[in-house]
Amino acid sequence: MAIAEAREPPAPRRRRLRPDLTTPTLLGLPLAWLAVFFLAPIAIVAAYSLDVYSLDPGPHSLTLSAWHDFLHSSIYLRLFWKSVKMSLAVSAMVVVLAYPLAYYLALSGTKRKYVLLLLLIAPFLTSYLLRVLAWKVILGDQGVINSFLFWTGVRSPDHPISQLLYSRFAVMLVLGYIWLPFVALPIFVSLESLDRRLLEAASDLGASRLQAFRKITLPLSLPGVFAAFLFVFIPTLGEFITPSLVGGTSGYMYGNQIVDLFGTGFPDWQTGSVLALFLLGVVAALTVVFARFLQPGQVSTD
Amino acid sequence: MDVALSKNGARLLRLFFCLVVVFLYAPIVILLIFSFNSSAVPTFPLSGFTLHWYHDFLVNADLRASLETSAIIATLSSLGAVVLGILASIALTRRRFRGKSAVSALLLSPLVIPYVVFGISLLLLFHQLGVPRSLLTVVIGHIVITLPYTILVLVPRLDQIDVSLEEAAFDLGASRLRTFRSITLPLILPAVVSAFLIAFTTSFDEYAVASFVVGSRVTFPIYLYAALRFPDQLPQVIAVAVVVLVVSLTVVIAAEIGRRVAERRFAG
Repeated sequence: MAIAEAREPPAPRRRRLRPDLTTPTLLGLPLAWLAVFFLAPIAIVAAYSLDVYSLDPGPHSLTLSAWHDFLHSSIYLRLFWKSVKMSLAVSAMVVVLAYPLAYYLALSGTKRKYVLLLLLIAPFLTSYLLRVLAWKVILGDQGVINSFLFWTGVRSPDHPISQLLYSRFAVMLVLGYIWLPFVALPIFVSLESLDRRLLEAASDLGASRLQAFRKITLPLSLPGVFAAFLFVFIPTLGEFITPSLVGGTSGYMYGNQIVDLFGTGFPDWQTGSVLALFLLGVVAALTVVFARFLQPGQVSTD
Repeated sequence: MDVALSKNGARLLRLFFCLVVVFLYAPIVILLIFSFNSSAVPTFPLSGFTLHWYHDFLVNADLRASLETSAIIATLSSLGAVVLGILASIALTRRRFRGKSAVSALLLSPLVIPYVVFGISLLLLFHQLGVPRSLLTVVIGHIVITLPYTILVLVPRLDQIDVSLEEAAFDLGASRLRTFRSITLPLILPAVVSAFLIAFTTSFDEYAVASFVVGSRVTFPIYLYAALRFPDQLPQVIAVAVVVLVVSLTVVIAAEIGRRVAERRFAG
């Protein structure tokens, strides 16, 4: 710096006149954007949940009644618990299925592992709605599976397997289908960074492959497994699109309830805000507790 | 002896991998088949080959308008997200300041917020401010949710670059802005492009947030969602689905190959 200024005296003046990339300049815009369009909206939801703001005209005062009703209502909490169970089942299912895939890519020594990884992940990067649409076409009463069964004479057209679509099964199948490619990624990254010399050492010391897997590979890949689990669990917990398209009444989830409370039928923004904040609180708590598994470095493909 | 897998184990896993790939692609292939099927309902047996449904959607003005709306929204929001993402990523990788971990947590937090919650939050904000819902309100929401993706792509790239190049330019009298334009930006350009593509495809496909803040001009996912409820529109929706899936698969694969080639060339 000193040399540059000595050689070029007007530099300090020029620097003052030009817009410079100081830290406040860099962070000002992104942080302001999030403050206004991310944090402030959540604060407004909180205000609605406390009846400070309301859809109804007239005077309002702060009240916890909606929160009280929510915490004592069996309907909403039971629905939340049902969604938790569905999301847990979906997350566990896809992690169990994705683990061998990631293991194969990372440890089988296949030369084309990045090509195969891309092949696996590519469906995840295509349209969400269209992948749901595909299953709607496949599972319907007149859909691909049923019409195939009629055609081949396995079932009579009067008796389609009607539980396929508009059921809890359909919601979980479609959610699993949607998330499976993605969860392989964090598991792959954790297996890929595993030091293979540890396995060689274990083998030299007489461990079988199964023992080496149980004592070395599995424990060392657990952070990736947890990350994968949360990457599925968090978004599916608040899911409403898939259940509204393939869930029918038995696949109705907590997210659908929130949407309906803000819908055009009988809007109840106060209760809806409580439900939304409760979901946000649970997700935020999970994120904070498991933050060390959700480090951005673990999702990087590099 | 391989320590991780026996020969048979590897064979078994390869078989499992192939089965999963079939499971993942079969629904897409089934859509492809039925998009050429002449019957108005997608059922077996196939009734004959037709391009009718593709023709239908090409002349469907509403559908084309929704694709156009989504393209505009995706372009604006990914430009916005990339600009904000570059600013934030430079601060995170090149500057020291207090509360950095809190700032980075805030910048990434839209990744984990349930979209239904964010959607209604934005709805209430615009309702409270009296802002009418429009194309712009969707853009605003999409910038928030795609910003963390751009940061996740840009930060690792910025970390890879040798900081001494930037220091050299700065010491030679270039302003920080000039340093950024002449040194940093060219070096992170591949990452900027892939950040843009990720933001673009995310926005183009986004239904949940858009459904709460969209105005009278509907986006493509919102058009699709509505069309899914009318069986008579199903065949042409399937045809559109096939086109969109094939185009997005091609873009994704091309972008990934491009990024790898570029990074190999610039790897230093």
